[in-house]
Amino acid sequence: MSTREINAGLRGLPDGASARIVAPRGRHNLAVGLENRITVEIEGNAGYFIGGLCDGPDVVVDGFVGWSVGENLMSGTVRVRGNASECAGASAHGGTVVVEGDASSRAGISLKGGTVLVGGDVGHMSGFMAQAGVLLVGGNAGHALGDSLYETVIYVGGRIASLGSDARVEDLTDDDVLTVKGLADRAGFDHVDPANVTRVASARELYNFDALSHQRY
Amino acid sequence: MCGIVGLHLKNPRLYPRLGELLVPMLDSMSSRGPDSAGVALYDGDTMVVVKDVGRPAEICARHGIADRGGFRGIGHTRMATESAVTTQHSHPFAPLPDMAVVHNGSFSNHVMVRRRLERYGITCETDNDTEVAARFIGYQVAGGADLADAMRMVLKELDGFFTLLVTTSTQFAVLRDSFACKPAVIAETDDYVAVASEYHALAALPGIGDARVFEPVPEEVYTWTL
Repeated sequence: MSTREINAGLRGLPDGASARIVAPRGRHNLAVGLENRITVEIEGNAGYFIGGLCDGPDVVVDGFVGWSVGENLMSGTVRVRGNASECAGASAHGGTVVVEGDASSRAGISLKGGTVLVGGDVGHMSGFMAQAGVLLVGGNAGHALGDSLYETVIYVGGRIASLGSDARVEDLTDDDVLTVKGLADRAGFDHVDPANVTRVASARELYNFDALSHQRY
Repeated sequence: MCGIVGLHLKNPRLYPRLGELLVPMLDSMSSRGPDSAGVALYDGDTMVVVKDVGRPAEICARHGIADRGGFRGIGHTRMATESAVTTQHSHPFAPLPDMAVVHNGSFSNHVMVRRRLERYGITCETDNDTEVAARFIGYQVAGGADLADAMRMVLKELDGFFTLLVTTSTQFAVLRDSFACKPAVIAETDDYVAVASEYHALAALPGIGDARVFEPVPEEVYTWTL
């Protein structure tokens, strides 16, 4: 079956249905652009953009994925039981991307309100220009974390190699601990101690939204 | 775009199957590079470069690549962005008799580096950016540098985005630029090391299910020696 046929087949399923994709062999664009509330299991390693542009379904990959898993996700979940390559959850407006292993560089880049939960490490420039939403990293973060950050908040369980421009470490509040506990529970990350994560947010010295649109931002 | 593949065989029993294993890898990178393609194959003491214009699968069939054996091969599928689509502009480039270079990405200061190489007596045959990088690496190695050091010099002297795969008669080396702008994935088993721009080029290799699959980190030269 072509990828187009697979996605058309998934799109035609009624809410509540479930589907399995076997032997994906690294194929790109599986389970993309779905708006129904179905469950899709991908049994094996998959390629780029898995679960991207979706607005509703729950997608699980039992393997690793390539670039941009869950890109521009609107709602629903994409769970990867292995590692993810670059740009995991890029530009996600809503929904949740869970990577149980490591995610490569630029995880959560330009996040717009979605939630990206990584059990392991993330690579360099993760959270780059992220505007809204949350990025939780259970392991270590690479260089230039949160560079040019807007209003996304990043929590890191392990070490941070370096912060990017305009990103700063802030005190962890009780609300943060509750938030992280909720996120770790959702993801099933037993190894994340909500009271012992580092909160990274924007120092707000780089961006000037309020200079536009009559200061109504 | 462009796609790169490489297969470094550790198990001599696979040597007769080099071409048979490499061709599907190259074919699966056609979507990244449909306009021309090429391979460099190492068999015994010789390196053979075959490159041509057209679809990668057609080029492989035309030149009987699947029937060729050897201990190591690299390949490239090209989507030209900065110079003409001709056989001469296609990869791999061979700056030394036993060295082949394939590149996914682009260099922005290749004109300056080309001019500098000319002062050292090194001339390029085309206006292709990758040829400059290949001749630069070849020049360093011919001057006595270790291959890994020569590739690190690319980080200092050339501006651009790249995943580079460079082979000599004894070494197989991979390097990504400082930002890891271009993709690369490596699979290693007891029998082989395989590199490709995208995982699905590796998905049909024997024993891939048990391979250690990883992404090379930026600025680190990965080498395997025969």
